[in-house]
Amino acid sequence: MRICMVSDFFYPSIGGVEEHVYNLSQMLLSLGHKIVVLTHAYGDCSGIRYVTGYLKVYYLPIKVCYNQCILPTAVCNVPMLRAVLLRERVEVVHGHSAFSALAHEALMVGSLLGLKTVFTDHSLFGFADLSAALTNNLLEVNLGMVNHAICVSHIGKENTVLRARVAKNRVSVIPNAVDTALFTPDPQKRPSNDIINIVVASRLVYRKGIDLLAGIIPRFKNTPNINFIIVGDGPKRDLLEEIREKTNMQERVQMVGAVEHNKVRDFLVRGHIFLNTSLTEAYCMAIVEAASCGLQVVSTSVGGIPEVLPKSLILLAEPEIDAIYAAILIAIDRHRKSSFKVSPPVANGHLPSEANGKVKRRRRRKADTPTSPTQLPASSAPPADQNSPAEPVMCPYRCNELVETLYNWEDVALRTVKVYDRVSNERPFTTSELVFAVWQHGSWFLVFFVVAHFLMRLLELWRPRKRVELAQDVQRTAS
Amino acid sequence: MVKKGQSKRQPWVKNLYSNREYPDNYTDASFLKDLRTNLHCRIYTFGEAVAGITVLNNQISCITGFLVLYQLMLSDSVSPTTILVPSCGITGIGYLCYRGRSLSWALLGEDSKTLSQWFFWLHVLTDAAHLTQAISTDTIYTMTFFVFLGNVIFGHYGLDVAMVSKAISLNAAIFGAICLASRLPTSYHAFVLLVEAAVFFVLYPIMTEANWHAGFMVPIFSICCMALYCISRPVLYLYASTTIFINFVCPFIFVWQQQYKFNIHGPWDEAIVEENTEENLDGNL
Repeated sequence: MRICMVSDFFYPSIGGVEEHVYNLSQMLLSLGHKIVVLTHAYGDCSGIRYVTGYLKVYYLPIKVCYNQCILPTAVCNVPMLRAVLLRERVEVVHGHSAFSALAHEALMVGSLLGLKTVFTDHSLFGFADLSAALTNNLLEVNLGMVNHAICVSHIGKENTVLRARVAKNRVSVIPNAVDTALFTPDPQKRPSNDIINIVVASRLVYRKGIDLLAGIIPRFKNTPNINFIIVGDGPKRDLLEEIREKTNMQERVQMVGAVEHNKVRDFLVRGHIFLNTSLTEAYCMAIVEAASCGLQVVSTSVGGIPEVLPKSLILLAEPEIDAIYAAILIAIDRHRKSSFKVSPPVANGHLPSEANGKVKRRRRRKADTPTSPTQLPASSAPPADQNSPAEPVMCPYRCNELVETLYNWEDVALRTVKVYDRVSNERPFTTSELVFAVWQHGSWFLVFFVVAHFLMRLLELWRPRKRVELAQDVQRTAS
Repeated sequence: MVKKGQSKRQPWVKNLYSNREYPDNYTDASFLKDLRTNLHCRIYTFGEAVAGITVLNNQISCITGFLVLYQLMLSDSVSPTTILVPSCGITGIGYLCYRGRSLSWALLGEDSKTLSQWFFWLHVLTDAAHLTQAISTDTIYTMTFFVFLGNVIFGHYGLDVAMVSKAISLNAAIFGAICLASRLPTSYHAFVLLVEAAVFFVLYPIMTEANWHAGFMVPIFSICCMALYCISRPVLYLYASTTIFINFVCPFIFVWQQQYKFNIHGPWDEAIVEENTEENLDGNL
């Protein structure tokens, strides 16, 4: 199948959506589909580029307006998008992220061309304020023209169904995944003395609950063996540095700053406990990555987070300072009490650090072979009593294996292909159906829709579909 | 994913890693069970709304009162001294009420120093008010209308929203007073008008903000009406109808429209935490 992924967010920018698009595309490529990624130009990163595995990326020369998004004009980029979609003989247009204006425009052009459209929503939205009301209306109009929507969690599905008024059966839930072969534990990197490291890895912004974190750090002022490692940067960094100075914890709170995604693991493996204080989150990849690295995860119980990990891997707390503090204390208690030593026995599959690369490679190969994702380690995840410190800490390698059975990109890709198959069997929307859908969901958008429609008709005369030069496919050489 | 026999289907769980037997677009019966509507909605009664709006009406009446004094001085029906002396007396009483128990000789000395400085500078600068004498009266009145409108719009009525700016509000009023002062015959008139502007737009709001009761609106309204009755009938009707419209019709519309409040809440809402600011940082440590 020929699929076009569209999103404003793609490499070189870094984030959850970018990672999702990249990993999903790679996995679909290896399943034998033809993938094209559409995004806007990032600085001098413009034009057509091939990235890993001959993944073809179009960096369209469109000016960025705000927050890595293009200006949402709805009609200005129609000729360019039409040219790309026709050139690449795309069958399914797959847009990502509700914030991405480019995705919405491409989905409209796709449905006008009679292609099948799929949309993945990565975020949660409230309903209470004016900006949310406007965004929700725009999303409602656009989802009216989409064949199928995908959400990353059940909460996300409830949210999308409510705010975009799509039919429930047109929304699938397919979670994100994590490359467990990349996020492997390495307990030898942990401090050998009695110190316990608490790792925080997120952008330092209000939405990630940094104000909660700033309330929690001072509570450990008088507990000398607890250190913090804070990875990430953002406007709230000053606040944390001020707190660190006022509580005299300069040696014990390490502020690492922004780190590339592939370096995050180096900091994760140094910790025992991972702390996530987000205030809202549709899926939260960070906690899955941390669990995959064998850390005990302590997180606020917001949005989709309670759905993500089994109880044996996560300690949930209400988004209040006292509750999170109590949960961290339980996690520390478990560590202190558990018999698990820093250097695991060889039987656990641990190899000395110089052979680590070999481990990774072996695991990767294992991930490449089609595994049946249906088996669940039901026996290994007993219903853990949340708040008992007696619950033993799980061996980091065991954590990694467990996460691997829960989430992997291949499973995600196969489930996404199911959605593609489903929509390709559907009848394409006729123009009158599209007009009716737009009319129902937000008649103001008809202005743009009509302009786009006639622009497409004009282009059909000016640059007829049959005379568009088709792009050559690069043959993947067998590696 | 893989549909097994209908007999042994495990119950659907709300997490992302089980439910392999269900299709991805399966919707469980528990869908949207955490949805709540109008959780933090406060429904106001008509009485509350009427009492609340008096704060705005008070500001409008305050401007009206100031303009009445201006008109009295302009038409020479009252001499400036007859206005200045009572208002000084009322200000003194207000000062004593405001300081209350905390009044001491040191504080009194400090405050009277401020007052005399202020009087001195005002007296010196009053002549500057005549700079706008060359501008036509119509222009002055139009400008005054708009700056007083600005005073009403940006005024502080007890809500902390982006619109509110005490500085803009006060400056607009003082600017309007300076414009009007240039229409008066002598510097002494202008001086008294500016003193009144300070009393009406600086000191009076301090008092009302501290202790306001909706019942105060009744005497204020009747005094304004009486004064306007002596000056101009059409203005009286305009003032009375505006005040009544704002005080009774607007709250009625507000209360009636409340039935359309429909707010959705659920687990997707952002958790609300207290943000650390410069002020509360030390207290939280």
